[in-house]
Amino acid sequence: MSSLKKNTPIDTVIAVAGDITQDWGLDPGMKLGPETLLAADLEFTSIDIIQFCVALDQAYGRRFGFQDLLMKEGSYIGDVSLGQFADFIDSRLQAQGAPA
Amino acid sequence: MSVRTLFIGMDGATFTVLDDLTRAANGGEPVMPFLSRVFAEGTRAKLRSTPNPLTPPAWVSLMTGRGPGHHGVYDFIRAEERGDEVYFTLYDSRDCRVETIWSMASRQGKRVCALNFPFTAPPPSELNGFIVPGFIPWRHLRRNSYPDDIYERLKSIPEFDPQELAWDFEREKQSGDELSDEDRESWVRYHLPRERQWFKVAQYIMHEEQPDLMAVLFDGVDKLQHQAWPYVDPNLQHGELSGFHQRMRELSLSYYRQLDGFIEQLVTAAGPNVQVFFASDHGFTASTEVVRINAYLAEKGYVHFRELPEGDAGKRRDNSYFAFLDWNKTIAYCRTPSCNGITIRVARKPGETGIDPKDYDKVRNRLIRDLEDLKDPQTGERIITEIYTREEVFPGSAMGDAPDLQMVLRDFGFVSVRNIQPVVQKRNYVIGTHHPDGVFMAWGPGIEAGKVLGKRHITDVTSTLLYSLGLPVPSDLEGKVPTAMFTAEYQAKHPLKIGEPTRSGDKGDRGETMDDEEKQQLMAQLQMLGYME
Repeated sequence: MSSLKKNTPIDTVIAVAGDITQDWGLDPGMKLGPETLLAADLEFTSIDIIQFCVALDQAYGRRFGFQDLLMKEGSYIGDVSLGQFADFIDSRLQAQGAPA
Repeated sequence: MSVRTLFIGMDGATFTVLDDLTRAANGGEPVMPFLSRVFAEGTRAKLRSTPNPLTPPAWVSLMTGRGPGHHGVYDFIRAEERGDEVYFTLYDSRDCRVETIWSMASRQGKRVCALNFPFTAPPPSELNGFIVPGFIPWRHLRRNSYPDDIYERLKSIPEFDPQELAWDFEREKQSGDELSDEDRESWVRYHLPRERQWFKVAQYIMHEEQPDLMAVLFDGVDKLQHQAWPYVDPNLQHGELSGFHQRMRELSLSYYRQLDGFIEQLVTAAGPNVQVFFASDHGFTASTEVVRINAYLAEKGYVHFRELPEGDAGKRRDNSYFAFLDWNKTIAYCRTPSCNGITIRVARKPGETGIDPKDYDKVRNRLIRDLEDLKDPQTGERIITEIYTREEVFPGSAMGDAPDLQMVLRDFGFVSVRNIQPVVQKRNYVIGTHHPDGVFMAWGPGIEAGKVLGKRHITDVTSTLLYSLGLPVPSDLEGKVPTAMFTAEYQAKHPLKIGEPTRSGDKGDRGETMDDEEKQQLMAQLQMLGYME
């Protein structure tokens, strides 16, 4: 998975999402981008979200605290976009002064 | 180069069934003729499982040679107490705190292959060999297999179908449910092609790669026996049997017949010099009653149920795998149906929910007495026959994650965590449940013929496989090599060596050294599991 890490968080998130879903039989014409929603567009279930977070951790060789992205005021958000994941990773990396 | 050691896991296999299926019936051939030969020409023993004879702790003990108090995997579900909330997530390989046999053998130059074993995902970053994990949905199998190209290579196997091969979470949830006759038949049929897929993968890797240690787990034995126990237990084949019963028995026997054929083909493909070992993570027996442990603890004032939401959300919650409780009032509870344990909620700071730490012994002793008092009103027999403290059965650095009390029910069944009365209720039909005694068998050159040993322990399997591979047994393993399994001549040529302790890798003692970032990550997983509901 480490080879999936790209120059920017959004490129990495898209690469990881593309890698995970490559043989799911999704619409081959679908282009992944910051607006792509995990549940609505990529048919993620909660187990898929767990696996996606693990894959991102593995891509960066570190552990992110994704609960702050996925929970708002004690409730789980309805859906989340690849862009939101990228922004979250970016904020975590910047907070720790790490290169993206 | 050829396979030196072949390990065949049979989840839930028991001599209760295998003894019957390896005997010639009505003058004909046994259902499992090859295993019959293994019995005659090899050595076998009952294999004592972990204190809770359940897939996660038991297979991880089998793969590490250590008990749950050291490896830290107690259940499918991992929980963390957070004051007025409890978060749940799934255990994975990163939660195992000790080294696995795959790593021990690999770092000493042996090539390994592990197929369909639980808690092998995500795979290690480096391994001399192959892992295709079990208990992973097909959509994540490729990413969790090792090395990166193995999944693509498996696609070259004729009729390879990852959806047929992999774990279907929704379907597997049925294993402990009461199903209609039609669904039970469908359940058994579902597992026939799954095993064929794993067999084909094993056959392919043996042919192409010839690893020193080849290991494959057939988990259909367990799945089938949960729902088809009345048709496979030889003690339940008497009297007038319905047409459905006879059809289900024949269907179930066809599963074992197929499995026997797979085993024979794998052993033959491994070559004449291979030593073959078989083991199960636990045995099987009949469960005849439902024990609603949290409902009982509610009667005693330990548990307070939360009101279920209205509509579909409430139905989903009621059917979910986790206890749905009022955490502000609950002081002791059972987390999941599979854990058969009781967790006492201890306040970590003043004002937090849970009991005062200084009251721990008093509360636990009272709880033990209350659990002992749960009795059959007709016979006066205790429903919970054994109650262990965690110090008794889970000593080790991971004891802090264990249930405070571990229970054994009189029929060895698993508890229910739902809020339903009565507390104890006879089942509408017998289902299969886990018995603590599984199987351990060996066959091949250097193995004693026709020998039955005294009961061994599940942690012995790792030591035995290392010995068979010609490797030293790490000094910190709990399991011992059953030397009586091997001929005197073999032992003379291959003296048992005790070697350096295992390596902990980068896992360390998670419970004591987890930093804030790791905790945040854990919480993310826990909360996301809640999202499932």
